[in-house]
Amino acid sequence: MTTTHVAPEEVMAWVDGELAESEARTVEAHVEECAECAGVAAGFRRMSEDLAEWMVPEIPARVEAAVMKAAAGAKEHAHGRFRRTWGTRRRWIVGLAGAMALVLALVAIPFPAHKSRGMYMVAPMQRQPSMAPLDQRSPASGVAGLMDRQIAPSATVERKRSDSAAMVASLVAPSPAIGAASAVAAPMIARTVSLAVRVKEVGAARTTLEAMLARHHGYTAQMTASAAEGAPHELQASLRIPAGDLEAALKDLRTLGRVENETQSGEEVTQQHQDLAARLKNSRETEARMQAILEQRTGRLSDVLEVEQEIARVRGEIESMEAEQAGLEHRVDFATVDVSVMEEAKFDGVADSAAARMRDGLVTGFTNARETVVGMVVFGEEYGPAILVWAVVLGLPGIWLWRRYRRGLRAG
Amino acid sequence: MADDGRDGDERAADGRGDEELMLAFCRGSQQAFAELFKRYRQPLFGFFRRRLADAARAEELTQDTFVAVLRGAARWEPTALFRTYLYAIGLKILNAERRKAAFRATFLGPSEREPAARSSLDAEVVMRDAVGRLEPMDREVLLLREFEQLSYAEIAELLRLPVNTVRSRLFRARTALHAVLTAPAPKTTAAGMTESEGRV
Repeated sequence: MTTTHVAPEEVMAWVDGELAESEARTVEAHVEECAECAGVAAGFRRMSEDLAEWMVPEIPARVEAAVMKAAAGAKEHAHGRFRRTWGTRRRWIVGLAGAMALVLALVAIPFPAHKSRGMYMVAPMQRQPSMAPLDQRSPASGVAGLMDRQIAPSATVERKRSDSAAMVASLVAPSPAIGAASAVAAPMIARTVSLAVRVKEVGAARTTLEAMLARHHGYTAQMTASAAEGAPHELQASLRIPAGDLEAALKDLRTLGRVENETQSGEEVTQQHQDLAARLKNSRETEARMQAILEQRTGRLSDVLEVEQEIARVRGEIESMEAEQAGLEHRVDFATVDVSVMEEAKFDGVADSAAARMRDGLVTGFTNARETVVGMVVFGEEYGPAILVWAVVLGLPGIWLWRRYRRGLRAG
Repeated sequence: MADDGRDGDERAADGRGDEELMLAFCRGSQQAFAELFKRYRQPLFGFFRRRLADAARAEELTQDTFVAVLRGAARWEPTALFRTYLYAIGLKILNAERRKAAFRATFLGPSEREPAARSSLDAEVVMRDAVGRLEPMDREVLLLREFEQLSYAEIAELLRLPVNTVRSRLFRARTALHAVLTAPAPKTTAAGMTESEGRV
């Protein structure tokens, strides 16, 4: 007689009492008839009996005492639950805070470099706007005066920020024409600020702007106001503000309305200024020498005319350079502030339709998505290789430790 | 040695089910908790003792589990059996202990294992060794079934596995354990248990 055996796993489930009633009856009937399956069932039962021999000692009484004490304590603490919940969550909160601090620290690390550069840009040597023009009759003293003015503040700067002074020293290589006096000079920085402000009323903003200019001794270099019908009113102005007053003026400007955009930049013109001064000095010396030749020596008329022509040429150069120098100094003394004041858009009952707004939203959404993707790709390109290097540097020991840890866990 | 199965006499003495006792404890009855502790102190100690080589740690973790029950009492809802709830806490605490031990072993080097097994009885040494060779999840299913006497459904709930997986893992664990216990005999299959008179 051929018997279809019940699967051993099925027999095991039957022995464990885990089969549904109908299945259990079928298996039971089969096991009663089939010696082989009965043997399997007996094997499982014996295994359970063997395992049952693995006894553990009585639990020590001290555990009961400790638990009962805890039970009594738990009842007494009316606010226990809150404290316990806080206790269990505290670790998570502390961990999360730590992780956030780490992320912040990582994000902030690149900033000090930018910051110091920013300080360098934002707080340049504040030249006095009342700087006197160079004495044209005594060029040497003029140049020396210029040098004095450059060196005097540099001493303070050097004391305050030796790193900055060192940087300046490296930037401003001493020119043989100027000599040792200019070995170290404070940077001359022409600052430019661009500010876009959204205001409620352009007219009022203009009045405030003019009052602010008067207060800070600045002036308007150029101004355009537009008040086209149906379009929001606008005011574009290019202001010149004494470098020393710039920060205060900017603070005032920001109060005009909602600042939508602000950019600040600074152009280092120290080298340019010093080159100009050196060239100016040389030209003046040339002029002085030729004047001396003209006064002391006599010669043919054509020679005299030639020298005079030469003097006129050099004079022209000197004047042009002086103008350039004055312009440069003016750019340093007076920061340029380009202000764009726009009135908030008014919807005179002609609000966009819902469809138009949704379409605009969709366009903005797609633009944002594209920008996000581009940003991610750029990030990947910029930092991907470095991340890869770090992944290798940290990953390999990490994998090793992780495997070790998993092995420990498996070993239980 | 103690019988770590649930004590029928003690249960009869109170007459109430575990869940009723837990509800009574939630309402403030210390006596109900004392009764629950009496019922489960030994099974829970056995649960830890069989899974850890360190007897002192097993004691501490038993205590920790009951303390966790005490602390969680306010949040307890009778949606599951009390014993499933208790062993779920026990398993969490056990896993945390294992993680800590693995972490210590990874970063601080392996700790000295106490020679408790050697001084224990032969059956314990043999069983601990044999069970220790099983795959961790199979081992857990087997222990929960054989010693904690949990049903397949309860084990499935505790280990977050499908019931059928519990059944197949249990079968695999028992087959493997049989093979280990009958070693150095040739590899034995479940069907082979009949041939070898099913001696495990």
